[in-house]
Amino acid sequence: MALLEVTDLRVQFRTDDGIVKAVDGVNFSLDRGQTLGIVGESGSGKSVTCLSIMGLARGGRVGGQALFQGKDLLKMHADELRAVRGKQIAMIFQDPLSSLHPFYKVGAQIVEMILAHEKMSKKEARDRAIDLLRLVGVPRPDRRVDDYPHQFSGGMRQRAMIAMALALDPAVLIADEPTTALDVTVQAQVLDLIERLQHEFGTAIIMITHDLGVVADIADDVLVMYGGKPIEIADRRSVYYQPHHPYTWGLLQSIPSVGAEHTGEKLRAIKGMPPSLIHLPTGCSFHPRCPYVMDVCKKEEPHLLPAGDNGAHLSACHLSIDEKQRIWQQEVAPTR
Amino acid sequence: MSTEADATTAGEAGTARQPLVRLTGAKKHFPITQGIIFQREIGRVHAVDGVDLEVYPGETLGIVGESGCGKSTLARLVCKLLPLTEGTLEFEGKDVTHLAGNELRLLRRQVQMIFQDPYSSLNPRKRVGTIIGDPFDIHGIADGKERKQRVQELMEVVGLNPEHYNRFPAEFSGGQRQRIGVARALALRPRLIICDEPVSALDVSIQAQVINLLEDLQTEFHLTYIFIAHDLSVVRHVSDRVAVMYLGKVVELADAGRLYKTPKHPYTGALMSAVPVADPDLAEKRERVILVGDVPSPIDPPSGCRFHPRCPKAQPNCVTDEPPLEVKEAGDLAACHYPLEPGENLAKAKPGIQQETTAPQLASG
Repeated sequence: MALLEVTDLRVQFRTDDGIVKAVDGVNFSLDRGQTLGIVGESGSGKSVTCLSIMGLARGGRVGGQALFQGKDLLKMHADELRAVRGKQIAMIFQDPLSSLHPFYKVGAQIVEMILAHEKMSKKEARDRAIDLLRLVGVPRPDRRVDDYPHQFSGGMRQRAMIAMALALDPAVLIADEPTTALDVTVQAQVLDLIERLQHEFGTAIIMITHDLGVVADIADDVLVMYGGKPIEIADRRSVYYQPHHPYTWGLLQSIPSVGAEHTGEKLRAIKGMPPSLIHLPTGCSFHPRCPYVMDVCKKEEPHLLPAGDNGAHLSACHLSIDEKQRIWQQEVAPTR
Repeated sequence: MSTEADATTAGEAGTARQPLVRLTGAKKHFPITQGIIFQREIGRVHAVDGVDLEVYPGETLGIVGESGCGKSTLARLVCKLLPLTEGTLEFEGKDVTHLAGNELRLLRRQVQMIFQDPYSSLNPRKRVGTIIGDPFDIHGIADGKERKQRVQELMEVVGLNPEHYNRFPAEFSGGQRQRIGVARALALRPRLIICDEPVSALDVSIQAQVINLLEDLQTEFHLTYIFIAHDLSVVRHVSDRVAVMYLGKVVELADAGRLYKTPKHPYTGALMSAVPVADPDLAEKRERVILVGDVPSPIDPPSGCRFHPRCPKAQPNCVTDEPPLEVKEAGDLAACHYPLEPGENLAKAKPGIQQETTAPQLASG
């Protein structure tokens, strides 16, 4: 049995302008020690997917199933969910300055988190907080434990958040764009930390990001989302070396490569803009921007189907498997 | 400086060219004061702390660095949005350090800026036509029908629909707002445009569109760019030469291709190694250099070489002697006592001094 199994997750928000279909049919499963990368741009639904699993999608109507160790998180009572949140499934967010309370010392916030779930004395909890800060590489943790969040730098704050998230040895860690706001060398430090902690504790990780580079290093499987829908899901190497969706191709082509020869060639940008989640295009949501669009794409929504022999590699596109392979090999791959 | 000028023009003929912009000994310090009645200076933020830089006509000079390195402050010094604390600024050979009044206004027609945040850099209460058209008003160049025509031409050039002339910024997406910023910067046909993180706030697919637009405009309007970004892949793609900044100083200045292939300064090496690559095999193969410590504060910069508390190659003299920015090879400059040799593996380097570690303390090590 998978640790976390999400089936047909749907999240909608009622707004004055209409119903926002933020998440529209997401499936994935996660095993112990595994890392799933969820990749997408703004409005793709990647954050709302995980927030709704944790019961944090305020005002959203959530449908589908999210089985954690066999029990459906979406149907749990508030008390039951609160016991799971933090202790079994932990979450870290993009901007640690807004997710840590500015009025309380960092140590106090970690202690509060520990005492909410475990019975121990305040002193024991504080010692544990210091150990955790040392664990994540914060220098002089016995002194830093009494600092306020604004006295930490961005990278250190994120380490403190990771310490808080891992305080109770959760089975799953959801990291929502944890390094987007950080400088690149600090990003490398934090990603290295997350990887090493995973290796040490066997935590399963869901890493949400818009950065295909971050996911290339850390994920086992990758789920690509567009307009609230999953459009491709595959193991890491397949997504980068044998992608089967025009959007994934477009994303890979949009990224300038540091290692490549400086050819002076222009980037191949995806034309157009991400869709409105209230007025999604008919048929395939990507069709207005797709260079390979066909008539059927405007009328029928493509289902997630196997992309070839590898049954675990799914893609939602009307192009035939042969066509996709041909286009990738002859047209897209040579440009990378 | 002229030999350096000859040698560092990348991809162009090696004839001695006059730089369009020259900064010499540029410093910008922001005082920190205390006291209510008498303001005592108790410290300074050394945002830019001694920079010499030349930008040549037609080139794109990239500037990279992390938070606190001073790149944005440097941009504002070149644009004269901030006065220099020390040093001089020359434009087309003329000293413009203390320019004021009408002469300054004339200079502003030559140097324009595109800002990072497409949401705060446009006045939300002004219509797009006004935002792009204001430069024509301010400089008394065109008004009425002619101004509207020129604004609409600009909108077309940057890929906006000229019929949206009367819309407000809120009615546009992030990428479109950035195009409005580009049109505004282009309005007076400046010689130099400083792009301060122009694509950082945009989604990846939109970034590529705006980068392509900037490159097309450079060719069409013979523009010179100073391109500031923290995304190394983007900078590599657009730049001819790249300057790497750390804590208010330029630590390396080289041809873009050479900088990325064979960086000389250990900080540049660490930056290159830290950039995530969208290639799993490559990501696994390469040895990551994980720096220790945090980016130090520009209020109290470290002694000697400012990078010594984090440098994997730091030696005792790095703590006491500040290395000068000098030519290392092929006209590329680096400020380091122990620059990287080609093929040197920085991940295996061991520092010769004590440094504060930020490595995770795990049982498995």
